[in-house]
Amino acid sequence: MDTIIDAHNISKVYNPDTIPVYAVNNVHLHVHAGEFTALVGPSGSGKTTLLNLLGGLDRPTSGNVVINGVDITQLSPSQLIDFRLHNIGFVFQSFNLIPVLTARENVEFIMLLQNVSKKERDQRVTALLAEVGLADKMNVRPAQLSGGQQQRVAVARALASKPKFILADEPTANLDSVAATKLLDIMAKLNQEENMTFIFSTHDQRVIDRARRVITLVDGAITSDTGQTPTD
Amino acid sequence: MITKIAWRNIWRNPTRSLVIMISVAIGLLAGAFIAAIYWGMGQERFRIAIENEIAHIQIHQPDFTKDFTQIPSMPQAMEMLTTIKQLDGVKAATMRTIAMGMLANATGSAGMQINGIVSEDEAAVSQLKSKVIDGEYFVSKKANGLLLGAKLAKKLKLKLRSKVVLTFQDKEDNLVSAAFWVEGIYQSYNTALDERNVYIHISDLETLLGLSDETHELAVLLQNDELTIPVKNTISQLYPNLKVQDWQEVSPDTALVLSTMGQASMVFVIIILLALAFGIINTMLMAILERTRELGVLMALGMNRMKLFSMILTETVILVLFGSPFGLLIAYGIIKYLSVNGIDLTAVAGNTMGDFGFGNVIYPDLPIDQYFQILILVVITAIISAIFPAIRALRLKPVEAIHR
Repeated sequence: MDTIIDAHNISKVYNPDTIPVYAVNNVHLHVHAGEFTALVGPSGSGKTTLLNLLGGLDRPTSGNVVINGVDITQLSPSQLIDFRLHNIGFVFQSFNLIPVLTARENVEFIMLLQNVSKKERDQRVTALLAEVGLADKMNVRPAQLSGGQQQRVAVARALASKPKFILADEPTANLDSVAATKLLDIMAKLNQEENMTFIFSTHDQRVIDRARRVITLVDGAITSDTGQTPTD
Repeated sequence: MITKIAWRNIWRNPTRSLVIMISVAIGLLAGAFIAAIYWGMGQERFRIAIENEIAHIQIHQPDFTKDFTQIPSMPQAMEMLTTIKQLDGVKAATMRTIAMGMLANATGSAGMQINGIVSEDEAAVSQLKSKVIDGEYFVSKKANGLLLGAKLAKKLKLKLRSKVVLTFQDKEDNLVSAAFWVEGIYQSYNTALDERNVYIHISDLETLLGLSDETHELAVLLQNDELTIPVKNTISQLYPNLKVQDWQEVSPDTALVLSTMGQASMVFVIIILLALAFGIINTMLMAILERTRELGVLMALGMNRMKLFSMILTETVILVLFGSPFGLLIAYGIIKYLSVNGIDLTAVAGNTMGDFGFGNVIYPDLPIDQYFQILILVVITAIISAIFPAIRALRLKPVEAIHR
């Protein structure tokens, strides 16, 4: 199986000169295409920080992150923005949709940044919103959607750019159980049918139960990694 | 999409956006109004100078200003005047014979420029006739009639038909004196000039000076201001030995007033724009502070710095451009009304405006291109004002901004 994320001994240290705090401590991690992986651990264990490092939102203090053969720790800020746009999808805990745009526009926006043609944008937006069960909510702004619906728009938005993988930071944390189950069903379906790679950070047992690989972090270090896909 | 987001962002906080739009409108109204007052005053000073004092072009002997007790005269004056009156673009022309002397009566005396004029021609060039407020403008054709300014009349306690004595040097440097009778009292927009200029028949002065078909000054009024240079060049070619000067050369102070008025109004406009700029910066900084997380998300998703910058810039420019037309339209309405009806300053300034060569009624006016100039300045202000908030937004780190 193709390795899409290759993290070599990455660490993120805050206050290195005073009282160093290791948010991520010497993590070594490979993620392969098609994984459905959960990063778990108690609050403050470094799940979100690790996710940010893998997604190029933050830079490690040491070590490097190679995505699809590109060492993203060597990219300039502008190159990194462009890299994220074309390679990584994000789903955030608090949805973070653009409030002034409708569901359709939120999904379309990312393709506009990629200069995708109008025809393709229209087709893809319609298909993606239908896939997450929101075909009837296309022209509704986020404020008029429930939390679960907003998060499904966020998943559609993450998929819109045709990323190599999707990073989801506590995606079910703000959802009730019905909405959480529905969201997980959609993500699992995308994973199985379209081989989309998902990496979650989560506390939620329902997510952990659905994950095929579970990585446990304690104090920034990996303490267990179950269900890992064997390397070629 | 960037314009769409910018537009919708503006209406997320309608009150704040409306306040800034109204500020822009009021700022523009104030800026345009002040510019119009200065422009109107400058134009008025220019028109007064051209139509009442110096005309567009004056012709003298080259050393005209060398010795005012013995001003050199130009020969064949009538022929010259006839030729110049027939030139294309000339509306009216007149000749003046000038003597520097003294006016005296029983009350006192004053140094004076004595202007010998051809009454009909002078009325056409300097509108002197319309400035007569008491008595008549050389109607009687009687010899030794005199027209003097109201302020001088008051100072020397002169009334109509009062006798005055004018004393000056003739062509042969002899001191000559002659009695004149006040036939009319005039008041122009320039009290300083009124106080030191009296007018008599040109024939009376020529006789006393011993001149024959000679004159000291030819003043030419043109059909429009743009003809000044071409007509001046034509006259210069016709009379290469004479000094032909346009209004800017005759009265550099008028040219200076015009340029100073423009600069002064620009200073006020810039002060208003600066105040506006701080308002815009404050509003946009607030907007960015409120949307820190959203901007972080946009950056995380892959919106590059250029697009983020242009989004904030677009938002600011839309905000300002929506306020601008209202301010400019209201300003246009008010200025157009006042350009006809004027602002009468008599109640607050008395007649002091006249001491500076202005009328008591100010007529604010502003050419259309000046409105556009102000609009362009406002847009430039908006763009400059957006730069600081935009840089603040660009400095955000997505990972920090998202978690705020």
